[in-house]
Amino acid sequence: MISYLDRKLWRDLNRMKGQAFAVALVMACGLAMMIMARSLIKSLDTTRREYYESNRFADVFANLKRAPNALADRVRALPGVAEVQVGISMQVTLDIAGLAEPASGLVRSLPDFGQPELNQLFLRTGQWLSAERRGEALVGEAFAVANQLRPGDTVTMLLNGRRQTLRIAGIVLSPEFIFESRPGAALPDNRTYGIFWMRYSDVAAAFDLDGAFNFVSLTLEPGAVERLVIAALDRLLTPYGGRGAYGRSDHPSHIRVSDEIRVLKALSIGFPVVFLSVAAFMTNSILSRLLNLQREQIAILKAFGFGNRQIAVHYLKFAFVMVAGGTVLGCLGGIGLGLRLVHLYTAFFRFPELNFMLNESALSVALLVCAGAALAGVFSAVRRAARLPPAEAMRPEPPADYRPALVERTGIAHWLSHTFRIAVRNIERRPMQALFTVAGLSLATGILVVPNAFRDSVSYVLDYQWDTLQQQDLSVGLVEPAHAAVNHLFRRLPGVVTMEPFRTAFVRIRNGPHQRQLPLQGQLPSALHNRVIDQDDHRIVLPTQGVVLSSKLAEALQARLGDDLVIDVLEGKRPTLILPLVGLSEDLAGVAAYTDLHSLNRLLGEGDIVSGASFCLDANRQADFLRALKDIPRVSWVAIKKSLRENFRNTTAASIGLFQKVYMVLAMIVSFGVVYNNARISLAERARELATLRVIGFSRREVGGVLLTELSVLALLALPIGLALGAGFATAIVSAVNTETVHLPVILTSANYAFAALTVLVASATSAVVVLRRVNRLNLVSALKAPE
Amino acid sequence: MTLPTSDAVTASTRDQVFRVRGLTKVYGTGTAAVHALAGVDLDLHAGELVVLLGPSGSGKTTLLNNLGGLDVPTTGELWYRDMDLTAADEDQLTRYRRDAVGFIFQFYNLIPSLTARENVALITEIARDPMPAEDALHLVHLGARLDHFPAQLSGGEQQRVAIARAIAKRPEVLLCDEPTGALDVKTGIVVLEAIQNANRELGTLTVVITHNAIMADMADRVIHLSDGRVHHIRQNAQRAPASSLNW
Repeated sequence: MISYLDRKLWRDLNRMKGQAFAVALVMACGLAMMIMARSLIKSLDTTRREYYESNRFADVFANLKRAPNALADRVRALPGVAEVQVGISMQVTLDIAGLAEPASGLVRSLPDFGQPELNQLFLRTGQWLSAERRGEALVGEAFAVANQLRPGDTVTMLLNGRRQTLRIAGIVLSPEFIFESRPGAALPDNRTYGIFWMRYSDVAAAFDLDGAFNFVSLTLEPGAVERLVIAALDRLLTPYGGRGAYGRSDHPSHIRVSDEIRVLKALSIGFPVVFLSVAAFMTNSILSRLLNLQREQIAILKAFGFGNRQIAVHYLKFAFVMVAGGTVLGCLGGIGLGLRLVHLYTAFFRFPELNFMLNESALSVALLVCAGAALAGVFSAVRRAARLPPAEAMRPEPPADYRPALVERTGIAHWLSHTFRIAVRNIERRPMQALFTVAGLSLATGILVVPNAFRDSVSYVLDYQWDTLQQQDLSVGLVEPAHAAVNHLFRRLPGVVTMEPFRTAFVRIRNGPHQRQLPLQGQLPSALHNRVIDQDDHRIVLPTQGVVLSSKLAEALQARLGDDLVIDVLEGKRPTLILPLVGLSEDLAGVAAYTDLHSLNRLLGEGDIVSGASFCLDANRQADFLRALKDIPRVSWVAIKKSLRENFRNTTAASIGLFQKVYMVLAMIVSFGVVYNNARISLAERARELATLRVIGFSRREVGGVLLTELSVLALLALPIGLALGAGFATAIVSAVNTETVHLPVILTSANYAFAALTVLVASATSAVVVLRRVNRLNLVSALKAPE
Repeated sequence: MTLPTSDAVTASTRDQVFRVRGLTKVYGTGTAAVHALAGVDLDLHAGELVVLLGPSGSGKTTLLNNLGGLDVPTTGELWYRDMDLTAADEDQLTRYRRDAVGFIFQFYNLIPSLTARENVALITEIARDPMPAEDALHLVHLGARLDHFPAQLSGGEQQRVAIARAIAKRPEVLLCDEPTGALDVKTGIVVLEAIQNANRELGTLTVVITHNAIMADMADRVIHLSDGRVHHIRQNAQRAPASSLNW
């Protein structure tokens, strides 16, 4: 049989179901956020790990000019090497029907028979390559999807200068290309860059590489030291034009996935911590205020001999119901959101299957936080009630020590209405309750600032990258570096307004034990297209001696201005240069190293060479330009700023936008919950007083006015605090998203502040309507007589 | 009709329930200090019905609260049988209230979310030797309104539920703080009858606070308080039945 105390519990809960639901909802939002974010990370992490394992993703990779296949055995014999896969990897130019700009791609060879030992593919649709049929290729999924290619379609590419049309046998995925992007490109453009796999004999024939390889990947034996294996491999491959071996930590796709996971991790800590703290605080303060209202009942129970522990347990059950409700809602919400959002990652990453995996530990952590907050709320309130001798608790509160409010003492009293005076005196008389209300409203305002601040930061980075740094309309890259004479050809293309050549060289930059591999960009000393800008927005003029690094890269290398950096060039004559660090540039996305084009060429000793150029075009003649460009066979890729941006807006930005909206909706629910509960509790705390006002002749309107004035004054106090708080939250969260490739500045706009303030005001107004209706229903007699 | 004075009263030292000596209670400190009790000496015996009379602020409620273990005195002796209430800790006071004391308040103080039966049963759940909630409610003639919530009951009915709640655990002491203060004459008399019945049928020491001097006629003894002290004690030769009172 259910005890009578429990019946009281159920009926009390039922009476306050609106408030109890709001508490549960606030808690649920925090939980949902935490569960969703942590589970998404777990899903990505686990999926990647399993994918790597099942498809045998290699540990070390190296490109070289050309080596006989027999060299593979010597690679295999290196200490620490477990398995070796050699093959051919070639950049190619594509001709996609209906695509104005040139497209490029990477062709990889597959063994003529059977699967490769390492970096095995996953067949999404279609068939594997067959030994009998020639002229077939497998296509990476991202490119296939972007260009709506299906098995059986054809694709035309320039293989070593020869135009060849290939039939697509199947659409595949590779652990090497979870993130399909042209090397060095900050953002992927899957329409104009694709990965292809062909049979070894076909590729070797096309590139005159029969019996040879130019790409090797290997796995390490357990316990092997990657650094030593890379060094040994480099020594072995140098005579064959080795371009520097690298591990997973320098693998472009791996870095991007890791970085995305790191960003998600930062967000998954930042957002939920803020949300859960707000939820915990609200749960705590709402429970303790609700229990304060039950002070007299606690006193009665004590008078009749219920012990403090029994009473505490009774109210803990009260909290438990809300925690349980919040947990169920939060779990369902978190799992539901996670299930939906996990599919968004297919826009970034290509996995055979990306399934939602619940992170149970996140669930328990979140639950502990909420339950802890609820317990603390109950304990503080019950302790306060229990400490009071029952006789005192039952006595009607002593008449308050009223005095003119501060605002009145300033001498403007006669300007103020009665209603206003009562309201203001009340706030001063019950500072703790006012404080709780202000704190609640501030938090509600604060969390509304965060999601939009995140959105604004992301869009600021993109604007900065595309509008401030990159002034060109498009960039063109050559298949192989060419003599600067090509500049004349470039300049004569239709529609060219300005042209700036550049030269990139793949290098390894070292500073003591720290090193990074990346392309070193040589450009005109005061390039107008691809600007190099320092932290204070000043242009950096590239000096003839020395390099400029993006500040994130310098940080990673622990290099300071004036330090001498060792630069191993990993192509051509492979010189090792020592250049001072002469400037730090502000790059918000990606790492970069710049130097002067002419001095780079001088140092490389290969003559006057360029590897591409950037252009500003006459907007009306872009089509002509691209058409003409398609006829230059040595052009490997074109990056059109506008289409990159458009593409980004449609994929990545849309995903970020959806996340931001989810966070925003959760923030709004929390906000409404907090504001509504505040209003309801304020009413409950004041019910007797307001009823008294009604009894002595105040109209409903006037009594409502007292409550509304009080809430409005507190809301006005809370808004600026909340906005400041929101700025703090946003700064903490956004700065947490600070990886080597992404550096988000904190952007707080007045529109963001206005939105947060407006939402809280709307929530307040809505809650006020609900509360006013209750004021109208105040039972005057019972509110005065029987203390409830 | 008159009732015989109970035997317990005549045997004044026999079966003493409370022994109060030099009891003081001071609220607040310094200049704001209020001496609610300024040295009360008193003995209360099993089975007697005592009325505490006195003007507002004379210390009636404070004395009652101290007797009931709802509040602790500042100085003085306060014995319930052989239990020193001044030295009792929180747990001991809780047990004392649970086992020995029944309270009736001016504003009934029922739990609004429980029905009449449940309000009484709530207490019988924790009591040592309770009577069934229904029996207690029958004793106060509320057998027909067992499943009504407080809000559905009149003031007199609510007060009778409160009485049922107080007597259901068969307390040794019944403490009533202005039980009729919020009621009209007719309803008040019904409530007083219920209290009188409980006193007579259960033999409970009953202390009733009032400032209505007429109610003093139903008592064995009438204790007048003023300024926190016992002013004088009047012994009634005969107790008047509650039904005969009128004010």
